[in-house]
Amino acid sequence: MVIEVKNLVKRYGDLIALDHLSFYVKEGEIFGLLGPNGSGKTTAINCILSLLKYDKGEIKIFSRPMSPDAYDIKRNIGIVMQNVAVYNELTVYENIDYFCGLYITDRVLKKRMVDEAIEFTGLNDYIKFYPKKLSEGLLRRLNIACGIAHKPKLIIMDEPTVAVDPQSRNRILEGILELNRQGATIVYTSHYMDEVEKICSRIAILDKGKVIAEGTKDELKAMISTGEKITVEAWNISGDQIQRLRNMPSVISAEYDRPVLTIKSDKGRNNLEEVLTFLRNENIQFGKIYSELPTLNDVFLEITGKELRD
Amino acid sequence: MFWHIFKNRFKCLTRDKITVFWTFMFPIILSLFFHFTMSNIDRSNIFKPIDIAVVDSNLYRNDVNFRKVLEDVSTGEDRLFNLTVASREDAARLLENKEIDGYIETDPQICLIVKKSGLAQSIIKNFLDNYLQTFSAVNTILSQNPAKRHELSAALNDYKAYIREVPPAKAKLDIKPYFFYSLIAMACLYGCFLGLREVADIQADISPLAARINASPVHKLKTFLYSSSASLIIHIAEILTLLAFLVFVLKIDFGENTGFVILTSLAGSFTGVSYGAFVSALVKKSLNVKIAILISTVMTWSFLAGMMYTDIKYIITKNLPFLSWVNPVNLLADSFFSLYFYDSLSRYALNTIILLLFAVLFCSGTYLIVRRRKYASL
Repeated sequence: MVIEVKNLVKRYGDLIALDHLSFYVKEGEIFGLLGPNGSGKTTAINCILSLLKYDKGEIKIFSRPMSPDAYDIKRNIGIVMQNVAVYNELTVYENIDYFCGLYITDRVLKKRMVDEAIEFTGLNDYIKFYPKKLSEGLLRRLNIACGIAHKPKLIIMDEPTVAVDPQSRNRILEGILELNRQGATIVYTSHYMDEVEKICSRIAILDKGKVIAEGTKDELKAMISTGEKITVEAWNISGDQIQRLRNMPSVISAEYDRPVLTIKSDKGRNNLEEVLTFLRNENIQFGKIYSELPTLNDVFLEITGKELRD
Repeated sequence: MFWHIFKNRFKCLTRDKITVFWTFMFPIILSLFFHFTMSNIDRSNIFKPIDIAVVDSNLYRNDVNFRKVLEDVSTGEDRLFNLTVASREDAARLLENKEIDGYIETDPQICLIVKKSGLAQSIIKNFLDNYLQTFSAVNTILSQNPAKRHELSAALNDYKAYIREVPPAKAKLDIKPYFFYSLIAMACLYGCFLGLREVADIQADISPLAARINASPVHKLKTFLYSSSASLIIHIAEILTLLAFLVFVLKIDFGENTGFVILTSLAGSFTGVSYGAFVSALVKKSLNVKIAILISTVMTWSFLAGMMYTDIKYIITKNLPFLSWVNPVNLLADSFFSLYFYDSLSRYALNTIILLLFAVLFCSGTYLIVRRRKYASL
């Protein structure tokens, strides 16, 4: 195991930020910590990094207990903070060189690693720029470069795409996948379910400091009864017809917010066909129809009764 | 690792325009301001000859001695009076119009006519009293012993002072350098802005940057010591440049103990940086609040040390002596003053020892707070 967290408890006065949190991260995976703001993701990361005191629990990294002076462990960890953490008075190159130099003392090796990090994050054209001159997307890329330049075995990324434009975001996500392909184990926290779904091989969903579900995305989706979500643009549908839709064997729920009819059905194979047959038989006028598999948001919604973005 | 951290820290600090302004440019600007203000004070203190008139009369014209003495003190660059010989009416009119400070009546006897009392009037009166006393003494001696004429003449020409002026110290008492001593003391304490940054950048509960550094495989206190070395060297360079500027450009006299003056500057610089680090570690508020605390304390100390108004130093020393001992700016300024003014180093040594005790206190306090390895909250 790369990370083992057992029964971690962290209190801020009366508030329990982490409530017997337990999870593990295997070598070579991209492990996602998904949860709404305030669910305890960053607190968990800070405890893992030994920055934050915790009340109870055990944390092991590379099978050894983590502590503030476990420098051998820290040497193999890269951190990408939620907030950009670079020196405003140093250029892009100098910042990456500085943080890499805290891990790598060999000058030749360090230079090579810095150059590779610049290449990897696509900051070649900006090496002499000061952070204040960079756009938010470039700044985030610099933040990542500072965290990964020393080629750590474990990379912890705490919401690295917050406030980033879609183009930079995609580039960052592709970069994370590439780092993983190069052998790094990655812990990725986010409240963006699409990101987590796209890159993470295993996911833990956090709520109120607890892991409420854990597994691959397919395993998580299998945990809920919703198998398919059908959205129909429909007119002239009566309350009675909606009720009859709800009574269909495969339908879990049907909600109508004119003109959008949303139907959640179970994991059956012919849900869409059955719904279409019903609409035609009832002479209900309809336009666009979408069918989608459940998302992690649906998983979260079904388990907690609230949206991930709440 | 030392060189890596030191070098990058050095770059960061020298490129931080706000810190460079407060720790270096601001004291230089303030010293120039003091210099120009002091120059005006000097100019206003230059003695100006006193405008007087003497009433033209037969007695005056015939009193060769008095006329000669009066003309002698009214000629040359260092003259005492700007003398006008005028009729009684004209002299009265000049006095009425405030064109002269007083006029001398010579008939029937020498006397001074003034409209008000003041320094100029006192000087004229003193001059006349002196003349009349000497004139009377000479007349008395000659009437009783005419043979002593030559001896008397020689004695008058060979004026002897029987009281010797003994300065209380090696330097003349000049208040002007003190303003600059308190200014350099303030500049030393302004090193606190560098100390502030040092702690802010290693306390994980203050900034994400510090959290990143805490997560790196370098001991936190090592990082702090290495980067603080850069701060200290930059600040010492700034203070020595300021010192050179004061000595060589503004010609401020720091006395002859150059070695001790430099040593005091180094001790002041160290105290300043350590003070900033201590406040930064101790106060759990935002960076702006910490900066406000540092500026307000250093400026208050500077005021109480007499940087803006020298009398306050005397008032504090007389009525609240404790305050002058717990004021690092005062201790530093007084150290510079002691080196300039006193022969003995005892007062200087006492100031420096207390100052270093402050530095030890600040360093120990910072260490106790900063040594924490984990934080309760981030």
